[in-house]
Amino acid sequence: MRTKKFAYNMFALFVIAATLLSACGPKAAAGQLNVIALPHDWCNYGGVIDAFKAKYPGITVNELNPDAGSGDEIEAIKANKDNKGPQAPDVIDVGFAFGDSSKTDKLIQPYKVPTWDSIPADAKDADGYWYGDYYGVLSFLVNTDVQPNVPQDWADLLKPEYAGQIAMSGDPRTSNQAIQTVFAAALANGGSLDNAQAGLDFFAKVNSAGNLVPLIANNGLVAKGETPIRITWDYNALAAIDSFAGNPAAQVVIPANGRFAGVYVQAISAYAPNLDNAKLWMDFLYSDEGQLLWMKGYCHPIREADMRARKVIPADLLAKLPDVSGAVFPTLAQLNGAKTLITGQWDSVVGADVKAAP
Amino acid sequence: MANTTISASSAAPSIWRKWVGVVPFFLFAILFLILPSLRLFIGSFTNNEGKFTFDNILQLFEQQSILSAYWLSIRISAVTAIGGGIFGFLLAYSVTVGGLPKPLRSMLITFSGVASNFAGVPLAFAFVATLGRTGIITAILKDVFGVEIYKTGFNLYSFLGLSLTYMYFQFPLMVLVMTPALDGLKREWREAAENLGASQFQYWRRVALPVLLPSILGSMILLFGNAFGAYATAYALTGGALPIVTIQIGAQIRGDVLHNPGLGYAMAMGMVVVMAISLAGYSWLQSKSERWLK
Amino acid sequence: MSLRRFPFWSWIWYLLGALYFILPLYATFTFSLEMKRGALSFLAYEKAFADKEFWHTFGYSNLVAFLTILVSALLSIPTAYWIRLRLPQARRIVEFITLMPFVVPAIILVFGLIRIYSSPLNVPFTDITVIPPLTNFKVGTTLLLVAGYTVLALPYMYRSVDTGMRTIDVATLTEAAQSLGADWRTIMFRVIFPNLRSALLSGALLTFAIVVGEVTIASFLGVPAFGPYLFLLGQHLAYQPAALSFTSFILTWIAMGLIQLVSGGQGQTVGAH
Repeated sequence: MRTKKFAYNMFALFVIAATLLSACGPKAAAGQLNVIALPHDWCNYGGVIDAFKAKYPGITVNELNPDAGSGDEIEAIKANKDNKGPQAPDVIDVGFAFGDSSKTDKLIQPYKVPTWDSIPADAKDADGYWYGDYYGVLSFLVNTDVQPNVPQDWADLLKPEYAGQIAMSGDPRTSNQAIQTVFAAALANGGSLDNAQAGLDFFAKVNSAGNLVPLIANNGLVAKGETPIRITWDYNALAAIDSFAGNPAAQVVIPANGRFAGVYVQAISAYAPNLDNAKLWMDFLYSDEGQLLWMKGYCHPIREADMRARKVIPADLLAKLPDVSGAVFPTLAQLNGAKTLITGQWDSVVGADVKAAP
Repeated sequence: MANTTISASSAAPSIWRKWVGVVPFFLFAILFLILPSLRLFIGSFTNNEGKFTFDNILQLFEQQSILSAYWLSIRISAVTAIGGGIFGFLLAYSVTVGGLPKPLRSMLITFSGVASNFAGVPLAFAFVATLGRTGIITAILKDVFGVEIYKTGFNLYSFLGLSLTYMYFQFPLMVLVMTPALDGLKREWREAAENLGASQFQYWRRVALPVLLPSILGSMILLFGNAFGAYATAYALTGGALPIVTIQIGAQIRGDVLHNPGLGYAMAMGMVVVMAISLAGYSWLQSKSERWLK
Repeated sequence: MSLRRFPFWSWIWYLLGALYFILPLYATFTFSLEMKRGALSFLAYEKAFADKEFWHTFGYSNLVAFLTILVSALLSIPTAYWIRLRLPQARRIVEFITLMPFVVPAIILVFGLIRIYSSPLNVPFTDITVIPPLTNFKVGTTLLLVAGYTVLALPYMYRSVDTGMRTIDVATLTEAAQSLGADWRTIMFRVIFPNLRSALLSGALLTFAIVVGEVTIASFLGVPAFGPYLFLLGQHLAYQPAALSFTSFILTWIAMGLIQLVSGGQGQTVGAH
C-alpha cells in the first residue's frame, strides 16, 4: 500500500513537472531587449535605460552582467549563438579595439543610425559595423579631505607627499582603463602615441618611490582614504564626486599634459534575437536626446561637435564638462601596439618589487 | 560484508548492479560539469586562429612567469590550507570536545556558514578597512601602542596580507567540515583511555587524532582546492600584483584586451593536473591513516 | 570520574577566532555609517533599501538556494553511501570530480551551460522537440541555475556528507537495519539521513552561502538573483556597497540560524568531554 501511494505521488510530480516545463513556451521576442555590461552610474546609463523604457513601455530591458568586461561581452555573443532567450546580448558597448576584431570574427552586424553622418569618420567603421559612442579623458580623482594638495599633472605623482596614495582603476595587464592610464602617462613623459615605453618607465618610478598602491581603486576606497588619488576616466570621477555629495570633499583634475581620450564603441550582435528593438535602441542612443543623457553622465558623446554647432546642448550641461582641450585620440594600430607593449612589459618593468614575499 | 547481500550469480549483471548506485552522480556530472567544461579541454589545443596547436601547452612549461604563477598559487593554497586547517580545527574543537556552551557553538556554526563565502571585493574592502594604511587596527596600534606597522615593513598588499585575508573563508570551512567529525569522538573512548591511565596528550596522540586524521586530511584538501581556485579576493586586494594562476587565466580569457584564450584554457587544464596530483598525494596519506581505523 | 575542568584553551581559541572574524565586519560597518559628513548615520542603508527589488531578488536567491541544497543532498548522500559500502574503487574518481568545480572558472561553466542548453532537445534524427531550449523560459533557466549551483556546491556538500558518513560507521548501521528487515528506502530515509544531520547542516549552510552570494552565473543567465542586484546597485558608489555587504552578511547569518533551527538543532553532540 505504501509503495503504491509513493508511486502515485511520484507520477503526479512527474506530470506536474512536465506540464510546467512544456507550458512555459518561449516568450514573444518582440517585447524584449537584452543589454550587457551597462553599470547604471557609468555615463548615466541608468538614466538612458529609464528614458528608453519610458519611450517604449512595451519593451522589457534585460540587463545582463553590468560588471562584464569587453571580452566577456564578446564571449557572451559567441556562447549565445543559438539562443533566442534573454541571455543573448542584442547590443554591446566595448572598447575601441574590439570593434574591428568583432567585425572580423563576424560577431556583429552593420546598421547605420539616422544620424550616421554626424558621427566623426575616424570613430566609426565605414561599413557600419561599429560606431563610437562616447569618450572620456583620463583624470585624477582626489579625496581632498585626506590629501589637500591636489596633483595637477603626471609629474606631480612622483612627489614624496603622495606615498602610498595613488592607485589605478584596474590591472594594467587586463583592464582597458589601466592600460590607457599607462599610455597616457607616456604622452606626458616624452613618449608618443606610437611608443608607450615612457609610460612604463614612469610608473616604474612611481612604484619605486612607494607612491603606487597595487589595489584596484574604487570609490569606496577613495572615500575611505586608502587610495585618495585614483586615476580614472573623467566621467567616472565626476559621477563619483556627485555621489560623494561632499563627503568626502573631492576634486577632479585633468592633467595639464598627457591628455588621453578613450573611445568606446557600440555594435549590434550578429545573432541578436531582438533585432528590431536593438535598432530602436541604437536610434535612441544616437538621437540628440540619447547623446545628451550621456552628457549628463559627464561623458563626451561622439556627436558633440555636431551638437555644439547646432547649439542644442543646454548651457548648464556644457558648464559641467571639464576642459579637455588638447586631448589626443589614438588610432587602432597605436592602441594595439601600446597594449602589447604594456601588458607584456608591466611585470618586468614595474611590478618587480610588489611581489615581495613575507 | 554488505556485498554478500547482492550474491550475484553471473558476472555481467553484478558489475552493472555495482555501478548503478553512482549512475545519477556521473550522469549529473557529465551533463552539467564535464560537457560544459569540454571547451576548456578543446580550447587548450586551439590557437587564436582556431587551428590545432601544442603551443599553449608548451608555453606552460617554457614561460617562466607561468611556472612561477603556479608555484605562487600552490604556495598560498598550501599555507592557507595548513594554517586554516590548524586554527579551524582548534575552533571546531573548542565548541565540540572543548566544552563551550551550546549557544556559542550555534553562533560559530552559523557564522562560519556565512563567512565561508565572504570573499571578493567586500572581503578585500573589509580587510583594507581593518589593516590598510587607514585601517582601524592600524590606527589603534599607532594611537594606543605607538606602533606604526607600515613602517616596520608590514603590508596588507602582499603574500602575507593575502594569506591573512584568505583565512577568513578558510577557517569557517574547516570548522564546518570538522565539527561533525569531532562530534563522532565517542565519550566512551576518552573515559576508557583515562581509566587505563592515559594522559590528555596520550589520548590525543593515540586515540583521537588517528581517528580524526582521515577527516582532517579530507578537509585540508578541500581548503587547498578552495584557495587554489580563488580569484576575486586576490584581484581586489592586490590588483594582479601577486600573479596567481587564476588571475593569469582571467587575463587571458576575460578583461578588456585581446589575448590568447587558448593559453588561458591550457593553464586551467594545468590547474586540473595540479588538483589531480594533490588528490593523489592526499589519497596516499589517507590510505595510510585509515589503516588505524578498522 | 571526568573532571569538570574549566575549558581554558577552548575559550582562548574561540575568543581569538571571534576577534579575527568580527573586526573586519566592524570596520565595514563603521565605514558604512560615515555617509553623512561629520556624523554617523544610517543614510547609506536607507538609500540601499529604498528599492523593493532588494527583497524580490533576495527571495528568489533563497528559493534557488533551497532547491540547490535539496538537489545536491539527494545527489551526494546516496553516492557517498554507495561508494562507502559497495564501490570503494570508484572513490578516487568521484572525489576527483567533486574537486573539479574548484578549477573550472564560473564563467566557463555558465557559457558552457548556455551553449549546450540553448538548443532544444530533440528525438535523435528527427525534428520532434522533447524539451524546448531551457534558456528560453524562466522555469528552465532556473533549473539550469540550480544545476550550475549544485556543481559549484558539490565539493562542499560531498565532503561534508562523506566526513559525516565516515564518522557514523554506515556499514554497521546498514547491517543492523537490514537484519531488522528494513528495505533500502527505510535505511536511507530513517537510518542514514537522520544520523547525518550535523554533516548535512554544514553542507547546507555552505551551499546556501554560495548560492546567495554568487554573481557570475546568475548575471549571465539573466535571472533576478541577489548577487547581480547588489552589483547593479552600486559598485561605483562609495558607502552603499559597504552597507550592502554588511547587510547581506547579517541577513544570510539570520537565514543560517533559521536553517539550523529547522534542521532540529546541532545533530549529535557527545556531551562534555
